[in-house]
Amino acid sequence: MASHARTVLSWSSMEPRILTVSQYIEVLNETLGMIPTELIVVGEVSQFSMSQQKWINFTLKDQDADAKIPCFMTVYQMKMPLEDGMKIQVRGRPNIYEKFGKFSFSISEYELVGEGALLKAYLMLKKKLEDEGLFDVSRKRQLPRFPERIGLITSEGAAAYGDFLRVLGNRFGGIEILHANVAVQGSTAVQDITQAFAQFESLPPQEKPQVLVLTRGGGSLEDLHAFNDEDVVRAIFRSSIPVIVGVGHERDESLCDFVADVRASTPSNAAERVTPDRREIHRELEMHLERMYHRVQMGVEAKNRSAEHAVLVLRQFIDRHVHMTNMAIGQFLGVSERFLSSVNQKKVETQKHARYLALQMSLRTRTIMDRLSSRTHLLESFRVERVLQRGFSLVRMKNKIIRAGDALAPGDRIAIQFAHGDVSADVVHGAQEKLL
Amino acid sequence: MTKKQSNFAENFAELENLTQWFETEEVDVEEGIKKFERGLELASLCKARLAEVENKVTELKKKYQQLIEE
Repeated sequence: MASHARTVLSWSSMEPRILTVSQYIEVLNETLGMIPTELIVVGEVSQFSMSQQKWINFTLKDQDADAKIPCFMTVYQMKMPLEDGMKIQVRGRPNIYEKFGKFSFSISEYELVGEGALLKAYLMLKKKLEDEGLFDVSRKRQLPRFPERIGLITSEGAAAYGDFLRVLGNRFGGIEILHANVAVQGSTAVQDITQAFAQFESLPPQEKPQVLVLTRGGGSLEDLHAFNDEDVVRAIFRSSIPVIVGVGHERDESLCDFVADVRASTPSNAAERVTPDRREIHRELEMHLERMYHRVQMGVEAKNRSAEHAVLVLRQFIDRHVHMTNMAIGQFLGVSERFLSSVNQKKVETQKHARYLALQMSLRTRTIMDRLSSRTHLLESFRVERVLQRGFSLVRMKNKIIRAGDALAPGDRIAIQFAHGDVSADVVHGAQEKLL
Repeated sequence: MTKKQSNFAENFAELENLTQWFETEEVDVEEGIKKFERGLELASLCKARLAEVENKVTELKKKYQQLIEE
């Protein structure tokens, strides 16, 4: 077949020659194949369509003139979103599709042209990634406060590189920076950057940085294309190391900013976000010491106070007890005194009573003695001998004193006692008899 | 290097914990003085590190360069 075509093309004479349709299409395609692939065609996308999630067809047309080229590619070649109205520049191969006899341009690569197209593509990709959850706030990781190893992904030639290192040095020292020198714009930027991420990822754990910084200065959407590239965004998303992205000036934004764990506004700001300021830390250290010192001092004071308090309590306790003892002694003395005085009083009273009793006793005794004496005299006067002496005599019978004459009967023997001498006699007559 | 590096974060965290202890505990003077002395030690280690001004930059060689050199 190929030889067929070559034969035909090398055929220069005007002799007629007959070919089949397919042979002719082959000749056409051979001829079209001679067009250098370096030719770039610029046009606007229209009638964009995708079939079976695989094949993409659209028409590339000039904006003003009515000229069209049908274009074809696969979804795998679609690195940037396309839609109608976008201006793009394409490279590829013209081809006539044998089956339909239809001309089409088979695209090998394309780029968006102009801010409008880039912005559109940017917004479309942003929405797609957002919908996929790549920008979710919930997956943002916290950076270590004091990173010791930082991976820096930027171009050595860019101002960002110098700015970042200068600001970092002003803030903190002793940090090891692992620099991946990459192109931040141009055709190799995307590959360089994604490769740098892969390389950091493949480092052994002890060599892995604790944080990655992807940074560059500001620029147009075209300049920043690598930072809006889907592959780069996904590389950041996949990174096991937290990533901080600082692109451009304050107002610039890129898709990398959204997917990053921390978004810095500039390269300098990235340095500020990635490390603390040594002056701040110095102040913090002082503050920690001050707080600790203050608490220790408070503790010492509290202890002193409690010691003083203990002494005070002890003193109060002793004072109270001394006072109580004194009071008890006082009370005791008072009671004793009262007791003694009452004893004395009782003693005096007793003595008085004793004296009175003694007096009474002696008076009574004298009376009794007097009475006794008179009685004695009386008794004396009653004595038998005294009576007998006065002439009376005492009659007894059988030692019993006879007080009446009728106690005797004639014949009774009686004894008669006189003052001097006794006699015994026999009763001759009884008393009755005598009376008679 | 790694040891020195981890020390700053560790020392600083230990210092923060000490301060925390002082804030939450009823300070026992003897224990407090011990901890305060440790705090002074940590702070001085941290300050020594803060006095470092240089950051060391190492180039991460591209994979193909590594392959060539190997």
